[in-house]
Amino acid sequence: MSQNGKPHGLYTPMSRREMLEVCRCGFGAIAFMGMFGGSLGACKPGDSRPPLSETTSKGWPKTPHHIPRAKNVIFLYMDGGVSQVDSFDPKPRLAKENGQDPKFKVDATQFNDNGKILMSPWTFKKYGECGMDVSELFPNIASCADDLALIRSMVSNFPEHTNANYFLHTGSGLQGRPSMGSWVNYGLGTENSNLPGYVVLDGGLVPPGGIDNFKNGFLPANYQATIMKAGAEPVANINPYETERDPQREKLEFLKQVEQERFASQGSSGEVEAAIANYELAYRMQSSVPELTEFQAESKATKSLYGLYDDDPHTRNYGSQCLMARRLIERGVRFVELTCPQVDPSIDRWDQHNNLKDGHARNAHAVDKPIAGLLKDLKSRGLLEETLVVWTGEFGRTPFAQGSNGRDHNPSAFSMWMAGAGIRGGTIYGQTDEYGYRVVENPVSIHDLHATLLHLLGIDHQRLTYHFGGRDFRLTDVHGHVIKSILA
Amino acid sequence: MFKITQKSILVFSLPLIFFGMALFFLYACKEPNASNHSGENLPDQVDFNFHIKPILVQKCYLCHGPDPSSREAGLRLDRYEDAIALLESGNKAIVPGKPSRSELLKRIHHNDPEIRMPPPSSNLELNEEELALLQKWIKQGANYEPHWAFVPPDPKILDTQKELPPSKAIDRLISNAWKGKVNSPSGRASDEALIRRLSFLLTGLPPSEEELEKAKNGTFNYEDWVDHYLDSPAYGERWARHWMDVVRYAETKGHEFDYIIQGAWKYRDYLIKAFRENVPYDQLLKEHIAGDLLNAPREDAQGMVQSHYGTMFWAMGEGTHSPVDLRKDESDRIDNMIDVVSKSFQGITVACAKCHDHKFDPVPTTDYYALYGILEGTRFTPEVDGKQQAQLQDLDRAQHLRKEIRQKFAEHWGNIADKKADFQLTSLEESQDQVMEILGDFRGQTLYGWKSDGLAFGPLTVLGEPVFAQGKLKTLEEGRASSAYFGKGRFGALRSADFVTDKDFIGVRARGKTGTIRIVMDNFQLIRYPIYGGLEQKVDTEDWKDLVFDVSDWKGRKAYIEVFPGIYKNHQYIQTQEDEVEVQFAMAFDGEWQTPPHPRDRKKRTMSEILDRWAAYQASAYEVSQLNKWLREEELERDFPELEGLTQKINELESPHSDTLTFFSGVTDGFARESPVFIRGNHLELSEEVVERRFLPEISGTGTIIESKGSGRKELAEAMLDPRNPLTARVMVNRIWHHLFGRGIVETVDNFGLQGKLPSHPELLDYLALLFVQEDWSIKTLIRHIVMSEAFQRSSTLLEENKEWDATGVLLTHYPIRRLESEAIRDAILMVSGNLDTLSYGPSVPIHLTDFMQGRGRPSKNGPIDGNGRRSVYLEVRRNFLSHFLRTFDFPTPFTTFGNRDVTNVPDQSLLLMNDPFIIRQAEIMAEGLLGDKEATWEDRVQKIYKRAFARLPTERELHAAGEFIHSRTQDNGVDALEVWKSYCHTIFNMKEFIYLL
Repeated sequence: MSQNGKPHGLYTPMSRREMLEVCRCGFGAIAFMGMFGGSLGACKPGDSRPPLSETTSKGWPKTPHHIPRAKNVIFLYMDGGVSQVDSFDPKPRLAKENGQDPKFKVDATQFNDNGKILMSPWTFKKYGECGMDVSELFPNIASCADDLALIRSMVSNFPEHTNANYFLHTGSGLQGRPSMGSWVNYGLGTENSNLPGYVVLDGGLVPPGGIDNFKNGFLPANYQATIMKAGAEPVANINPYETERDPQREKLEFLKQVEQERFASQGSSGEVEAAIANYELAYRMQSSVPELTEFQAESKATKSLYGLYDDDPHTRNYGSQCLMARRLIERGVRFVELTCPQVDPSIDRWDQHNNLKDGHARNAHAVDKPIAGLLKDLKSRGLLEETLVVWTGEFGRTPFAQGSNGRDHNPSAFSMWMAGAGIRGGTIYGQTDEYGYRVVENPVSIHDLHATLLHLLGIDHQRLTYHFGGRDFRLTDVHGHVIKSILA
Repeated sequence: MFKITQKSILVFSLPLIFFGMALFFLYACKEPNASNHSGENLPDQVDFNFHIKPILVQKCYLCHGPDPSSREAGLRLDRYEDAIALLESGNKAIVPGKPSRSELLKRIHHNDPEIRMPPPSSNLELNEEELALLQKWIKQGANYEPHWAFVPPDPKILDTQKELPPSKAIDRLISNAWKGKVNSPSGRASDEALIRRLSFLLTGLPPSEEELEKAKNGTFNYEDWVDHYLDSPAYGERWARHWMDVVRYAETKGHEFDYIIQGAWKYRDYLIKAFRENVPYDQLLKEHIAGDLLNAPREDAQGMVQSHYGTMFWAMGEGTHSPVDLRKDESDRIDNMIDVVSKSFQGITVACAKCHDHKFDPVPTTDYYALYGILEGTRFTPEVDGKQQAQLQDLDRAQHLRKEIRQKFAEHWGNIADKKADFQLTSLEESQDQVMEILGDFRGQTLYGWKSDGLAFGPLTVLGEPVFAQGKLKTLEEGRASSAYFGKGRFGALRSADFVTDKDFIGVRARGKTGTIRIVMDNFQLIRYPIYGGLEQKVDTEDWKDLVFDVSDWKGRKAYIEVFPGIYKNHQYIQTQEDEVEVQFAMAFDGEWQTPPHPRDRKKRTMSEILDRWAAYQASAYEVSQLNKWLREEELERDFPELEGLTQKINELESPHSDTLTFFSGVTDGFARESPVFIRGNHLELSEEVVERRFLPEISGTGTIIESKGSGRKELAEAMLDPRNPLTARVMVNRIWHHLFGRGIVETVDNFGLQGKLPSHPELLDYLALLFVQEDWSIKTLIRHIVMSEAFQRSSTLLEENKEWDATGVLLTHYPIRRLESEAIRDAILMVSGNLDTLSYGPSVPIHLTDFMQGRGRPSKNGPIDGNGRRSVYLEVRRNFLSHFLRTFDFPTPFTTFGNRDVTNVPDQSLLLMNDPFIIRQAEIMAEGLLGDKEATWEDRVQKIYKRAFARLPTERELHAAGEFIHSRTQDNGVDALEVWKSYCHTIFNMKEFIYLL
């Protein structure tokens, strides 16, 4: 019988009762468990539920529904909505009709200040053997064209940032649902018990909707994203407070001693034991996080590849994030999301309601080289084979102007791409109309994107469920189809 | 492995359903991996509710349940008559009494995967035990019974326990479940443990040193301590917070800019006050659902109305910044309200029926849209704090006196009027071909069917109101709706009926300084640019002005107009004593502005008739203008002897009460609405028929159709409190039990439906529910009964001999250990460090923002890291910026009902307790306090710390270990005393005993 808060997924999160069962194995066993949604493999809970699968030495997902292609995901979030007709979806007709009234039906938009057709300020060129058209905005990413599967037929359900952000991240336009990174970790667990399984690298801009985009929703809190930032304190409370005169290790030893005696006499409670053991993990995390942020071991060539020596400080900033993303997935972090840098106080993410040319150019400059660097670096290290890289905004932009030189939100069509594990590089999928306004062939929904992402990780999106509030929830709700055509 | 013996089952002689329940309970308590293949362990009598339905629900209903849209092969297993019916295939799924002929059984373990049910792809295979149960059940006749939770508790249970005081009855009903397994439960917990348990669970704080001292000195009388804590002000704070989880309490609207929900904290104060004063639960329920509609609003001791704060329950949802599709936005808001109201008060997940009939519970889609109509007819509004009842009475009297003045004048003028010849009365303006649609015309006497909410606009227009100068009548007022009907400084809104926009413009003729007119479409409130800014206009002129709203973009929308004597600033309603707004008319038009003609009236009337009509508030605008003309032309009496007394009296009644003009977000009634069904939940695809309003006819016990001209919320509350309702009391007593034992009798506290968990002690649940109602829904009384039980007072140590049966604690042979909630942990840190400010009530303490809390709507000012030492319940709850501390310890995201919080164990918690500056600072404050007592030895200090933190003295070994820790640091490193004690106090906060309740 189903129980509230009990998963029907692959992997069982820890409830108090399960903790009790687990803890029959005692302190030692717990210390080795990954608390960030980590594996319970060391000591299975009773036989009351389907057996948990074993972790293989390579750390591939445990009992996936099918053979996984990807082990990790790097999600490059282009917050605000990149304009498709200026980046990956060339529309010559816009140049012909530039300045004319749209000849097609125009939907209500966020600002409802819809003007004339606006041609792209950028020219397009064909790249790679596949001949993918990419604009001048992304010359570096374009050089990886043969590794990309480009989808030009994305649609979203929401024209507002916040709803669209929640929708892209959680599969629902409302606040409070688990983020896809949480779902992935719930389904698969992490491979590194010293690091969280879901990390958001905060480049400076938290998307509208706030950190709820990265939350666990109704999944247990161990599946929420840990936000990492540049600076002295990369993760909240990660730096030991203690000074030389008040060493932390001594305190922890003292605590352990007193606690064990206390609870030995009380009679054991698995839950309490687990909470004690938790300190070991936190302690280890304190040292593994700083190690992660040290780039000293990286070669100059690598750093240069990521744009760390670029003149543009925002390129350097985003380059560091991309490099960090690689270091995270190398260490077994399952899902890494990168948010955008703020290139100028006057430029609001990719959300160019005006000054499209300036805003898009500066944003593109910040991310183009680092992203290409990431793809190339992953590839040269053999990591691209097991890492799925996803690049997308929450929606696209209108082919007609907002005011004179901006573009409003357009959920009816936008472009995104994926690369890496299980992806057939050089694919171009779907098509928009002659204006790039609406999808005319092979529409792909956000649910389809989620289904595909889970599929590549070895998860059947229809079978990864969590029971909450009287319902089995899925990332894809009751929708979603795997986009087979882009898979290798 | 234990085996159920017949003896253990047949100990009860209870009504049939309870027989089944008790039996299930025993059956369900076996170890999880007990195998049951042979059937020898099966219960004698298989119970549908407790044995069979869980299997059918989980494994079969998705395709063979109540929802026709997903039903396969025409087979329905949720109803007896369908389950035994002849199928297209010529078979019958179930043949009662004949397992071998029942297709259902054949299919379950069929060798052919194509035929096997459930299909292998569903991963829902039945195990041997489940199959055996089904077999036996069919053999015994395949009896169907209604879902346990939808059958009201049997009142006889109260009689069977009559001879015992409730706390003893509770113990008896708990121990009934032990028979054959548990010989003796764990003993009573120590006095110290009990006082800590009581203190934390009733007040959310650890016991104070003084309390511990008192408990030690006197002879410990548990019952006195129960009363002490129930009477403590902290009790209200603790239990209000529990309820805040249920209603998704938040002070902002989330979404893009996280706008403030005006006065949300007043709802929190309202709850705290209500719990402290032990307001009965049925009253609270009424106030939440329809607190604005009660005939006798509840007031506090000062006469401040309380009941309408309850309606903030509806206003606590998310709010979208500039949604492009308003209808969809409204449907999302209402969906959340339906979700929360049905889970909160009924433990039912009605929102599952938005797109299709509920897959498991008897909630068809039409039931969802029956509720939808109620909420569509409910409007959001600012509400004013104050003593409206007293005001209302006085203003009502003032209105009578005004009428008396008119009557007196009419009397005095009567003789002269009689002499006047007949008038041929028509309106002056002949009606033209109207291209406009009049939405409201206030030049006459009535408010044209608009709703006058609050006190500002009074009951009528000011048409014909006498205007005096130096005590003499000067003239009579022209018609208009005025927010200063009883004088300025009162809050109120004037709202039209719903209409559908089909013209390009809405025009309103208005004047006043300063007021607001808004066009509310699809109940959308966050009116602002870029899209909707034009739907709100400020009135800021002493002369009449024609305001034009361009609504051409929104043809076909449901809308209403509202007029307020104040303004909205950042979605906060603000009104000053001087604000005033007046309206002549409102209309919809295309093209050029048009002034609507006066209504035609061709009746012949004499002057005396007109006078009578005026005195009775029935005169038309034209008639009043005739009176004014007459007044100008003739020597009429301009006063009469009683006039001065009457006007003075009116002043006395009107002037002393001005409104507080402080506000909160509440709701008010619009006009009755019946919603169509949104096909597959799609707001663009509507059924042709609308659904009549009513409340879950298949569950609630009442299917009465709501005929109210208003929203129908009052009737909704009544349906929930109807004695036939099987859920209301059960759900609440279960919540209370959950908070006291850490687990509900029904573990899924928000879901009593078919997918919820079955009650561990069904008879106990029903006993408590019946008792609760019998004792006037008194929450404190119920808590008192429960904490007076032996079960509550047991030690948390599980006896070795009970380990086999009660490792999970369901049988309550011992008190279950649990981690404290985030608020209790934070409050305990403050209290133990000596830094707790127990101040009650008031605006929330601004949230402390860490560097990791970024994003739009981030407050420009950071809140204090220690929250000014206030209890956690007083910390601001911003949807997009929830307290880092509280979130880390599982504070829920306020988007829906969270009756049962998660308890997670994540390193963030350890990192926070180890490194967060808040903790370090509290340790320091604590150390400073301890060192303040220069006389104290280190042992004294450690003892003091233990008492404060753990409500007990340290053991010898603990004292010794503490000594070593302290001395090693002092000696080896020469560290100063403050540093050492700070370090030691820091370890105390990190001890598990500090955050666990034993």
